[in-house]
Amino acid sequence: MILPEQGEPIVVQGITGKFGSLHAGLMLQYGTNVAAGVTPGRKGEKVVGVPVYDKVAQAVAETGARCSIVFVPAPYFYSAVEEAILAGIKLVVAITEHVPIRDELKMIDLARAHDVTVVGPNTPGVILPSRKIKMGIMPAPSFKAGRVALFSRSGTLMYEIANQLTLGGLGQTIALGIGGDPVNGTTMIDWFDWVRTRNDIEGVVAVGEIGGDSEERLARYISETKFPKPIFSYVAGRAAPREKRMGHAGAIIYGDLGTADSKISAFRSAGVQVAMTPSEVATLVGRTLNR
Amino acid sequence: MRLLEYQGKELFEKYGIPIPLSRLVRSASDVSSALKRVGLPAVIKAQVLAGGRGKAGGVVVVSSEGQAEREAGRIMDLRIGGEKTSALLVERASTHTGEMYLSVTLDRSRRSFVLIATSSGGIEVESTKDQVLEPIPVSGLTKAAAESVADRLGLSGSSRDGFVNVAMSLERLVREEECELAEINPLATLPDGSLLALDSKVILDDNALFRHPEFSQLPPEDPLEGEAAKEGFAFVRLDGNIAVVGNGAGLVLSTLDLVADAGGKPACFLDLGGGSQQSRVEAALRLVKKLPSAERILVNIFGGITRTTDVAAGLKNVVNEGPTAPVYARISGAEEEEARKLLADTPVKLYSTAPEAVKAVVGLA
Repeated sequence: MILPEQGEPIVVQGITGKFGSLHAGLMLQYGTNVAAGVTPGRKGEKVVGVPVYDKVAQAVAETGARCSIVFVPAPYFYSAVEEAILAGIKLVVAITEHVPIRDELKMIDLARAHDVTVVGPNTPGVILPSRKIKMGIMPAPSFKAGRVALFSRSGTLMYEIANQLTLGGLGQTIALGIGGDPVNGTTMIDWFDWVRTRNDIEGVVAVGEIGGDSEERLARYISETKFPKPIFSYVAGRAAPREKRMGHAGAIIYGDLGTADSKISAFRSAGVQVAMTPSEVATLVGRTLNR
Repeated sequence: MRLLEYQGKELFEKYGIPIPLSRLVRSASDVSSALKRVGLPAVIKAQVLAGGRGKAGGVVVVSSEGQAEREAGRIMDLRIGGEKTSALLVERASTHTGEMYLSVTLDRSRRSFVLIATSSGGIEVESTKDQVLEPIPVSGLTKAAAESVADRLGLSGSSRDGFVNVAMSLERLVREEECELAEINPLATLPDGSLLALDSKVILDDNALFRHPEFSQLPPEDPLEGEAAKEGFAFVRLDGNIAVVGNGAGLVLSTLDLVADAGGKPACFLDLGGGSQQSRVEAALRLVKKLPSAERILVNIFGGITRTTDVAAGLKNVVNEGPTAPVYARISGAEEEEARKLLADTPVKLYSTAPEAVKAVVGLA
């Protein structure tokens, strides 16, 4: 897993768009080194003071960047990520929503072949407060440096839970959105694996939701590998109907697969402390870590 | 997007998957002319998306024209899982000797498509233990892989050849039309060893529809859901009386849970999306006003990129332009105080936490 160090240059793909330019500015404000933007045909321009290039390869050559955040609209998403990977980018944070599944699977294959970490798509991104790294669209004031790792399938629930952790004096080493789609570039298990040997993390929060079986698989991983840190969870969608897509492409129960109850009971039997409301998460984390 | 059986079968036909001779009719009075083409005995099937169609009486075998007309009339009046059928599929009845199950679907945990087959089809196939499962690379299913599945199912002779063809075609359909799932259940074996797809279940990848404009002609399942989709909202109609509106899918989902835990019943799920402007908040509330079952409206906003003052201004405009169901709002985030001031002289009831707003809207506070 590759994550940027403090001050490391970051490329923004799709920087000239409304959303891309807004967030490039907010990332700069946070202290992240947004060193270059990429939009085909816009070389030579500046957006929020950041030079724009036509190609990722040019941006990489100028800045030495190995991390890119992608705001490119879904129809052009796959070719933008392919370009980044072939230009030598090693971390892609894919904010783009509504990416077709076929494009995601192709992207996962390509990323695997080039040893590239992909966060998302359909993610709010990743924030590392102690490194002043914000590669994402999350509201900065909700996050503070600390010793909790927060991984979430949902963006706003990540903000809401981080906010309450922060208010309760429980800062975060990392907060990262896995993505709301049925398949993700990196999985909860990938990130738990990354967390297990880090001594700057004391507890992990996993925010799940209906759809798929990634929570059940994570629960199995936690038990089987005897995960060495306390884990807390919240799973959204106990009241959701079946066979209906609830906002996220991935949030859908098919038959009996993907219910919140199945995920909650899997977590409980793996020894995870499960909150019944988003606001209960900070209470559970505080009770354990402040003991 | 989920296709109706006949729409799925049209795709099957396009890809060379054998289907029974059939006619689609929109009213019971058209059944007899359909029978002239299809012949007797025939099967009449309600075209609905709801599950449990057979158990609800939506599928019937008929052996005379009179019986067919009576049954067609009865099925047109049925409600299956709350859904009324808008069309009937009249199909030649087949005499088959065996039933298999075959699907190509996204396996989320493997992060690949998989082919799933069993040699014994039927409705309870989800619980079948003797499934044959074959992961499919991005480039597609190879003939060798399809043959290996046929061998593992114990097929031989013409059934084996037929199965390999159907499996290859179904996988190509899923790949080219960009489906999440295409399922044939049952895939019937006829006495001569050939195969026939008796039912279809096809779910398209909504996010790939921009590459398949032909499907965007299909009418939405729910007109209000169609209207919401045009605005870019995620909207799901539910059967309660409290409309739930918020920014972010996970947040709205968790708000439904809070409402249900407090004993309330949500009337809808409406996700405004992140970074919402005032005009979007207004559009969302105007949409909810068209939902007759929404007796109360709960708005849950966590302001981050979405500005709380934009939300408040939007709410204010909509409640000032005419009567709405009572609005209970939790608006939290930067500039929260400004947002409160904007709403001070309106009937909108404001709360600082989601649980407080939920208690109030359910009537416990």
